Amino acid sequence: MSEVPFKNPGWAGNTGEFDLDEDQVRGDDFVGTRPREGGHPSGAATYPYMLPEKHPDAPLFEGEHKERFDKILTRYPNKQAALLPTLGLAQEVRGHVSPETMDRVAELLELSPAYVRGVTTFYTMYNKRPVGRYLVQVCTNISCNLCGADDVMEAFLRYTDTEIGETSEDGEFTVVEAECLAACGFPTCVQINSRYYENVTPADVPKIIERLKAEGAGGD
Amino acid sequence: MADTITLTIDGQEVSVPKGTTLLKAAEKVGKDVPHYCYHDGLSSPAMCRLCLVEVQGAPKPMPACVTQAMDGQVVSTESELALDMRRGVLEFYLVNHPLDCPICDMSGECHLQDYVHEEGRDHGRSREPKRVFGRDDFGGDVLFYGDRCVMCTRCVRFMNEVEQDQRLCVVERGNRSVIDTFFERGLEGTHWHDNIVDLCPVGALVSKDFLHKARAWDLDHTPSVCPSCSQGCNIELHTRDNLVQRLKPRENLEVNAFWMCDHGRLNYEWINHGERAEAPLVRDQGGVKAMGWKEALTLLVARLGDVEGTVKAVASPFASNEDLAALQALVESLGGGDIVYRMPRAEDEIVLKGFPTLARRRDLAPNGRGADLLGLRRVGGDDGTGGLEDVSAHAGVVIVLGDGLADQGADFASGAALRVHLGTRSGPAVATADFVLPITTFAEQEGTFTNHEGRVQRFWPALNAPGLARPAWLVLGALVAEGTGSETPRRADEAFARLVAAHDAFSGLSYDDIGTRGAVVNDTVPLSGD
Repeated sequence: MSEVPFKNPGWAGNTGEFDLDEDQVRGDDFVGTRPREGGHPSGAATYPYMLPEKHPDAPLFEGEHKERFDKILTRYPNKQAALLPTLGLAQEVRGHVSPETMDRVAELLELSPAYVRGVTTFYTMYNKRPVGRYLVQVCTNISCNLCGADDVMEAFLRYTDTEIGETSEDGEFTVVEAECLAACGFPTCVQINSRYYENVTPADVPKIIERLKAEGAGGD
Repeated sequence: MADTITLTIDGQEVSVPKGTTLLKAAEKVGKDVPHYCYHDGLSSPAMCRLCLVEVQGAPKPMPACVTQAMDGQVVSTESELALDMRRGVLEFYLVNHPLDCPICDMSGECHLQDYVHEEGRDHGRSREPKRVFGRDDFGGDVLFYGDRCVMCTRCVRFMNEVEQDQRLCVVERGNRSVIDTFFERGLEGTHWHDNIVDLCPVGALVSKDFLHKARAWDLDHTPSVCPSCSQGCNIELHTRDNLVQRLKPRENLEVNAFWMCDHGRLNYEWINHGERAEAPLVRDQGGVKAMGWKEALTLLVARLGDVEGTVKAVASPFASNEDLAALQALVESLGGGDIVYRMPRAEDEIVLKGFPTLARRRDLAPNGRGADLLGLRRVGGDDGTGGLEDVSAHAGVVIVLGDGLADQGADFASGAALRVHLGTRSGPAVATADFVLPITTFAEQEGTFTNHEGRVQRFWPALNAPGLARPAWLVLGALVAEGTGSETPRRADEAFARLVAAHDAFSGLSYDDIGTRGAVVNDTVPLSGD
């Protein structure tokens, strides 16, 4: 980790509830390790509790996840208000929010399943379908678009051999369009899992893909 | 009055209570501000942006459905700014609208059609391809055409606030948003979901029962009362070709507000039943002869005069107050006797949670309370059968009013000296009667029902009666008149006046008092069986 060119005093989401140190958070235990050669500070928001592996059928809200779910509930005035973080937890465990997951969450939080579905589909950061190990979100909003986001998009699709929204055959990549990622100063911006890649040009795409593949092969 | 404020709407001064919205105030001066998301029976999210009006001094147009009127306010609902704004909003509504009015059930009563016709642009300028959702089965009686939807969310709010079973939601967002259920789990098992079809201002939610059955402009609307339970929901019969095509709720805040249950709404096909008794049938020396009313009634009066013994009668809770009172008057004129009726009952009430005084009641007939008030005796079980043993064994005169003998065989009251049946249809127990007199259904006559709380409500004739069928109060009234030498009631209100004169519980009521909203009787007898 010594090559990280900056150091935050803490990290986003450090509420003291979880016994994780910065190395664990930024290290290889979690998907979304920082680029070895560092990166822009705007890319620092690695989720503290990203699991390395997701299983679409993993048990929800059991064991340690049950403890975390109970902790989430303590932060809200009523159960119903805890919907968003609960869905987040479910997605973290399973990688996406399936109809069965929505039904389970609705039951736990005493909400109607239809309401949970409405909320889940409203927010684009909940994956409604299984995604690859790397979720590549290419910003195609105004700034990025003016600077060639469409070409970057096309390059990602070509090098991962997928269609928009589909997952590559090896299960590694899902490429989707994203609306503004709030990095308009550094177009084109691409978010891969929780990591930002800025000033991406089509020429950078094969390098990024290669590095991700290498990480995947060697990282765990 | 301190609680009244005065404002100017389109140049007209109007005084309204404090807290009135601009939409309601405009209604008072006869201006219907276009709106989708607002409905009297639901909350106002002010999300359709169609009711925007110009308020002098306000920096931008205000949504009339949530903006409260203020003293001295000057509002224009038809100024250039307001019209221009609405033209723009309507153009946006049409960006993805399929314009499939020729095949849309809502065509003719569609608010999008009306508003665009009144104040929309004559051309759309959108060159983009339209978004396509296709058709979705929401379960129950509801089909959803997502392309026609204007996203007013009235249906979502109805299920959420009134039925209080949140089966619907808005899925996705922005221009991808669409109403949906929880995947395959639709509206099955809910009992009030057809109201969302009424609420839908466009053709997005349509009834499967009414699908492609009739055009809205071909339907005649007749105010009536739902005959499917003792709640007595105010409804309209929508008819075409002398057939009832559908039922729609009619607003009455004291009974059913804007709603009615699916059970009542879809239970109308019996009214259209084709095999009807169409002429008086008289049994004579083993044969049955059809004849005209005058002849048949003359024969019947003669027979009634000959027969010795008391009278036992079976009435029907589906008959109007007038019919039941006329039956009672006849029985009394023949020396008195016992009148019973039977009531099919449901297992339990189905209450509409958001309007708890409305429920599908246990009594599955409209006039059980009327029969109770008139002193009729309830017999039989909750399935509407049994209890007729002593009528069947009666040796004197047996009179049956209505079609409630389905469980009885051809040997019903076979020992009776004279059997008279007034019904709409034949059956094993009817075919063996001495006199079968064809009467009308509630949809073919004028009359009143008394609902579970004692509210007397009028209904009006919507259909032509088949053949010689006549209202039971007219037939029975003629028999009474013949026997007692009095006048036959010629109109339903005369029949009702006789009822009022004979029964204290109804005293003081008249058709004029009842009007279209109903009036409560002054005698509040608890419902039998409750």
